[in-house]
Amino acid sequence: MIQARHLTKRYGTTTAVDALYFTVEPGRVTGFLGPNGAGKSTTMRMILGLDAPTSGSVTINGHAYGTAGAPLREIGALLDAHAVHPGRSARDHLRWLAVSNRIPLRRVDEVIGLVGLEKVAARRVGAFSLGMGQRLGIAAALLGDPGTVVLDEPVNGLDPEGIRWVRQLARRLADEGRTVFVSSHLMSEMALMADHLIVIGRGKILADTSMTDFMTHHAASRVRLRSPQTAEVAALLTGRGFAVDQSAGELHVRDADLAAVGELVCSHGLLLHELTLEQSSLEDAFMTLTADAVEYHATEGVAA
Amino acid sequence: MSALVQPRGLITARPGFGSILHAEWVKLRTVRSTWWTLFALLVVGAGLTALICALNAEWLASPEADESPGSFITFGMMLAPAAAVVLGVLAVTSEYASGMIRSSFAAVPSRTRVFAAKTVLLAVVLFVVGTATALLGYVGGNAFLDAEGIGLALEGDVLRSMFGSGLYLAGLGVAAVAVGFLVRHTAGAVTILLTVLFVLPTMVMLVPGETGQWINKLLPSNTGGPVAAPVMFNPNLLDPWVGFAVFLVEVAVVAALAGVTIRRRNA
Repeated sequence: MIQARHLTKRYGTTTAVDALYFTVEPGRVTGFLGPNGAGKSTTMRMILGLDAPTSGSVTINGHAYGTAGAPLREIGALLDAHAVHPGRSARDHLRWLAVSNRIPLRRVDEVIGLVGLEKVAARRVGAFSLGMGQRLGIAAALLGDPGTVVLDEPVNGLDPEGIRWVRQLARRLADEGRTVFVSSHLMSEMALMADHLIVIGRGKILADTSMTDFMTHHAASRVRLRSPQTAEVAALLTGRGFAVDQSAGELHVRDADLAAVGELVCSHGLLLHELTLEQSSLEDAFMTLTADAVEYHATEGVAA
Repeated sequence: MSALVQPRGLITARPGFGSILHAEWVKLRTVRSTWWTLFALLVVGAGLTALICALNAEWLASPEADESPGSFITFGMMLAPAAAVVLGVLAVTSEYASGMIRSSFAAVPSRTRVFAAKTVLLAVVLFVVGTATALLGYVGGNAFLDAEGIGLALEGDVLRSMFGSGLYLAGLGVAAVAVGFLVRHTAGAVTILLTVLFVLPTMVMLVPGETGQWINKLLPSNTGGPVAAPVMFNPNLLDPWVGFAVFLVEVAVVAALAGVTIRRRNA
């Protein structure tokens, strides 16, 4: 279990992480979602004691990182796939980590097998692809068989098969009762992986909710309909209190029930050519939620 | 909370200093740069000594010689510090360059212990390699001196200069680790150390009078270096052991500075 209380990090005048309160519970995959520069990595570095909070605190199982027992046996982290000396072999990298925390050396070969790096374990890490580096980082995180696993952008650089593997691994770790905290800037990835979601933007928590609740509350829906009697249908729906937008001969009824709209129009003898429920994707919901919190905007349609 | 959810890590105690030292040893011996640097140290330290002795043995044995053979028997060890310093710096800055330092501090949250382990390891490795290199240079060089009948016995100041070489390089290794932690960049740290060891001594000669003499005496190469040579080149320097004590203080100051700095910094 990871608990942050009033966790704050300032670099000079920039506030990277602004008074966060959150709890990452065991037994489920908690997604940590936010645009680039939102403060995800800073938060994860503070969890691991690499950056000191300006104020507030973050604890693992109730104590600060590294103040009890062998740290790698309590929490394993993938922070940066390239936090490895390029001239050292994958196996040697895992070996020094194991030795430093008195983890039996047979565990090194176990995790190498677990992440599928058997064939390249003796090769120097500098020659690894991004995906292989990512797998090595995950192997390092699992080395101490820790009860808490923190993965910062684990699917970066992985091929579709690798992404699926990470997803299944996170699921399995959570099912084994571990605390799993996974960051990403990709909502679509989180939607498939996480049970719980903490959304962060500009260092502040924007949402801390179960995945299901997030979907119901943030993914907007609308009913799209076409009719040769657009004006009459629009008047009817507006008269019944529906929020109706009209565009290019289509009507968009916001947050409406498909059946209710269809039945209403039909019962008034009006014609319908099309009636569709449109649900905005989670990606859209995430974009809407973090729109104000994005650090770097691309200007859309510059040419226009 | 179910049994499954119990934090597994708490079952094991905090790893002791021995484990951290062992981990640092695994790190040091599993990169090629370590072996290249030690190889360079050996070639320069022992090879150059043998070469210089071979070239000068005949002249040293002749009546017109105005130098003692003792000045030549650790000749290569005057350049060996460059390799020692590179080894010490790389042990630290290669971790910063690759970002691996975050893995190190995550595995061993006490940065003081990481620093201490690297310090102890480099001191031991460089003492052993430094002494061995000096001895090898002695064996190689003395063969040529012996042939001319001016061989040196491995005793007294000659013997002292052998393990003195180890001690001097060990001290430099510690200083290099400290500067590595302070500067965090390979080129910067190496430049600083080589400047202090090889450039400053010639520049200080331009400082006139008593001040210049004292600065010269206190430069690390002049406080720590004499213990690694059987004969004093410069009569104005402190006695070998007095100088070495001053050298240790100088190294301790840099190490203390580094120790304080790494605790405060973000990794």
